[in-house]
Amino acid sequence: MISRIRFLLLVVSVLSGCATQKMSGDQLARVAKDWSLSIRASQVIPVYPLTEDLQPGDVFLVQTPVEEQVKMYLAKGFLPLENLVTRLSPSGYGRFYRGWPLVADGDNAPPRAWQFPGPDADSNFSGAPIAAFPTYNFSVSRSGGLNMAIPVQSVPVGLNLLDGASANGTITLKDAFTYALPARTMFDAIHQWCRDNADYLSQYEPTEPKADKKSVANKFYLRVINRVYLVKTVDVSLFSNHAFGGGGSAGVPQPLQLLNIANATEAARQFSAVNEILSNAMAPATKSAAPVATGEETVPHPLAVGGTVKLAMATSRSVSLVETFRRPLVIGYLASDYAIEARGKCAAPVSTMSVLERHNPAAGKTIEYLGCDENCQRIRPWIKQGTNLQKLGSWLETKGGAIAIADFLTGDYAGLRQRVVSDLIEAPQ
Amino acid sequence: MALQPPSPQSNVPRNDVANVVDAMLLDSRVKWVGIVYEATVGGLDQFDVTPYIVDPT
Repeated sequence: MISRIRFLLLVVSVLSGCATQKMSGDQLARVAKDWSLSIRASQVIPVYPLTEDLQPGDVFLVQTPVEEQVKMYLAKGFLPLENLVTRLSPSGYGRFYRGWPLVADGDNAPPRAWQFPGPDADSNFSGAPIAAFPTYNFSVSRSGGLNMAIPVQSVPVGLNLLDGASANGTITLKDAFTYALPARTMFDAIHQWCRDNADYLSQYEPTEPKADKKSVANKFYLRVINRVYLVKTVDVSLFSNHAFGGGGSAGVPQPLQLLNIANATEAARQFSAVNEILSNAMAPATKSAAPVATGEETVPHPLAVGGTVKLAMATSRSVSLVETFRRPLVIGYLASDYAIEARGKCAAPVSTMSVLERHNPAAGKTIEYLGCDENCQRIRPWIKQGTNLQKLGSWLETKGGAIAIADFLTGDYAGLRQRVVSDLIEAPQ
Repeated sequence: MALQPPSPQSNVPRNDVANVVDAMLLDSRVKWVGIVYEATVGGLDQFDVTPYIVDPT
């Protein structure tokens, strides 16, 4: 028993370092992508790394053109949130969550009342709106890196506990919460901010490519977060694929046999011992000497990243762990993009998810309304009659570059309108 | 060859917003239209009118 626990202590004490330090850059990138792809499947834009410090009203400056964003999103699986411009504090939570306990505006706007309910009280999200995520399956291999990796420590811990070279597993995001502000409220807030900061935003107005090709066309967006998803607890179950990863030489410990129903007392003691080791091994150095167990009750230390890992179940071929963050962390968000136009004006919102998933809702570049000239005024009533709409559509397809009828009527197409009047309205008579 | 979807239009005066929206909705792919107040020029309100094919919310 003692030698087994020593072995476990050795494994656990190095695994947090091993799992990250020995990973190549490619493997780390794959960790981010695989995790993000799983979250993305739930129609949520993933956050990587997980953070507590993201909330509705956060405004990011997005410099990458939309097409490049899509490429980056598909390649990496997530979008870096790097240029935080401001944090709006729009009021509206009280009205939006009317009757919801502990939801108010001002200093106690979400998530503060849940994060810090009192001077000495721990976070309490029990009153927050609940969300649920599906269970994700993944495979993990010690030799090939993590095929599906997650930014929680339970997977490498579990793999080492299994002493296996590879495993399949499931991850369940428990204790998930969400909160938001309606798009309408956010719209008012960001447009007011845009008006107040037009001088600042004007440096990001769109640029046209220069003839000498020394500069390319660029367009900037403000990405405004309007909903976030948080998770406090992650359950990870791993099932070993193969026989044991270690060789058969003398001194190599055998895999854990924690669940021995024939000897429940011994099983409970071993569970307690393993959890104590996990807690000690992952506690910050300054706290590692503090007592962690009182009798049979194990008190887990906070991890350096702000959570605890506890063993829930283990057999020779499977292991289940529960990782609990100190406070819920944001794993994903929904947002809207506002293009920055000339003179620092903010345009209409476009759903970030729609853009990234290639469901671009608005077609093409914004054109300037030039008024309804004389020909436009003749064409508008004409297309309401009989099959004239189809005639105009066919004419535009063949002779008008297939431009949209709305663009044709009030855009910079006076010449085309003149030709349509000549060809379709005046000529048949 | 199908016609291109309509483009967003800026500086649309209040008294012609309805006609611009009407023209955009001639394209059956357009399911939503966003109308955003832009500015008041010479006492006349101007709007950005943006057609959407996918639910923008």
